[in-house]
Amino acid sequence: MDETPAISLKNVTKRFPIPFRRKAVLAVDNLSLDVPVGQVYGLLGPNGSGKSTTFKVALGLVTPDSGDAFLFGKPSRDVASREEVGFLPENPYFHKFLTGAETLRFFCRLCGLSGAKLTSRVKDLLHLVGLDYAADRRLSGYSKGMLQRIGLAQALVQEPRIVILDEPTAGVDPAGSREIKNLIFQLKEDGKTVLLCSHLLTQVQEVCDRIGIMAAGRLVEEGALDDLIGLRDQIEIRVSGGQTELLQKIEALVTAEGGKVLSIGRPRTTLEDHFLEVTGALSERRSN
Amino acid sequence: MTASEPFNQAKDVTPHKRFSSGRILAIASNTLTELTRTKVFYFLFIFGLVLLGSSMLSNNFSFGEEFQMLKDVALGAIGIFSTLLAILSTAMLLPRDIEDRTLYTILAKPVPRHDYILGKLLGVFYLLFISIAVMSVLFIILLAHREGIRIGQAALMYENPDDLVAAQNQIRAAAFTPGLWAGLFLILLRACILAAVTLLLSSFATSNLFTIVMAFTVYLIGHIQSIARQYWLESGDLNAFQKVFLSITAIIFPDLQMFNIVDEVVVGRAVPWFLVIKVFGLGTMYILIYLGATLALFRSKEL
Ligand SMILES: Nc1ncnc2c1ncn2[C@@H]1O[C@H](COP(=O)(O)OP(=O)(O)OP(=O)(O)O)[C@@H](O)[C@H]1O
Ligand SMILES: [Mg+2]
Repeated sequence: MDETPAISLKNVTKRFPIPFRRKAVLAVDNLSLDVPVGQVYGLLGPNGSGKSTTFKVALGLVTPDSGDAFLFGKPSRDVASREEVGFLPENPYFHKFLTGAETLRFFCRLCGLSGAKLTSRVKDLLHLVGLDYAADRRLSGYSKGMLQRIGLAQALVQEPRIVILDEPTAGVDPAGSREIKNLIFQLKEDGKTVLLCSHLLTQVQEVCDRIGIMAAGRLVEEGALDDLIGLRDQIEIRVSGGQTELLQKIEALVTAEGGKVLSIGRPRTTLEDHFLEVTGALSERRSN
Repeated sequence: MTASEPFNQAKDVTPHKRFSSGRILAIASNTLTELTRTKVFYFLFIFGLVLLGSSMLSNNFSFGEEFQMLKDVALGAIGIFSTLLAILSTAMLLPRDIEDRTLYTILAKPVPRHDYILGKLLGVFYLLFISIAVMSVLFIILLAHREGIRIGQAALMYENPDDLVAAQNQIRAAAFTPGLWAGLFLILLRACILAAVTLLLSSFATSNLFTIVMAFTVYLIGHIQSIARQYWLESGDLNAFQKVFLSITAIIFPDLQMFNIVDEVVVGRAVPWFLVIKVFGLGTMYILIYLGATLALFRSKEL
């Protein structure tokens, strides 16, 4: 299938110069990445590994030193490509002097909405992120999690086909992060493409179809979640051939012995273990 | 959060516009809200106090002196406040958006950088217009009030109706002199030029203090450069280098000396309309030059 990917980065390298020094921080190192349409892609990596920078390159907010970024095949540096994308920055900050509703109204107007359509959209979004009760309070009085929710609402203003979320659940309470998780499922159901990063690996494991793991600016591993964390050095019974009958027999045997088969399926390691394994070596190398 | 509301309603796709007045106006009114809510308008109280103070002294003067002093104080204060407002409120606009990273969220929307800059500048222009309009209205009310009092006093002084009418006409002529509106308009124009300079400075400055100090420096140079130029021109032949230097400074630094016609307004002289148009043309040119430079710098700025 040669469908154009929703998000495509080709050999992106980005250095940030350190003022008054010759050296520069290598934030992203020759990174190539494709996010197919309709997938939820999770980018993982330790602090400072370049995830946020990668997102900014994909959005055209940061110009890479070399390489290209495309959204639905359009170069990210073209402003027009941003019609299709919603972005939740990490630790989102908005104008503190605005209320929640005013903030959303402002972003709606930036996206060309007006009149009754704008009013109803603002109301829907506030409801969607559970902030109806705080709509008319200034953002200077919002808690971290509330700001995060406004940030999420703001990202969805123009009903974009791509949603990029930089740590969407940071600072959000457990119930809120479950809601965000459900929202991501909803987005996926609606055929949107989601690119997110998070340090909460269990959540990533739950929502993502594909995972990329970054360390020191490089994409060190990438693939479908099932491929990445389907079983590693663990002891288990593997069955081949005669599936259903054999399983029934095993089940019967276990039950006869007083046990119970809780689940039958492909075993996995935890994503957390896998993550530490693939990033560990590089992190060590960087620290000395 | 109710995830049950789907987002798959049909979406009317409008092609992306390179310039959009809707976007620019959204940013401009957002900027005005920002400035209003940082309580900049409190300075209007100080302006009110200045006016009140000067009107208290005014019974000691003849009406001619009184009106002239009132105009002197009011136009002077409007000039100073609008200059301060233009420089101080513009200086922090861009740095604050960059520092708070609110700029990321704005530019992640389909907002071209030039729309953002245009919106910001327009927002400051709104602010300057409103402030100067409010100050002008306060001043005009006071002037009309004093005019009424003087006319009332004249009625007690003259018994001959012809004399009274003549005296009252004299008072009216002295109060609202013809150049007044032009003077207020030119003050607004000068404030807009200073805002445009400050925005340009803030687009490459590394600190707000630098921006503010540089903006005031530009203000000073703007006032003295034409004097220096005249002096040089009168002192004889210029070599090529001096000529280039002069024309470059004339472009970089706004010629604020041309706004000295506001002083003429104070003493009640009429300002020829072609002069106002000329200054307006030059002022607009300066604003466009600074705006163009800001756009060029901001386009390639690493955020
Ligand atoms: N504007 C900038 N100027 C200078 N250096 C920067 C800038 N932005 C990022 N960096 C550097 O680039 C590297 C990658 O940063 P980035 O924010 O992309 O990391 P991250 O993976 O998002 O980390 P975290 O998990 O902490 O959010 C870091 O070393 C950081 O110091
Ligand atoms: Mg980050």
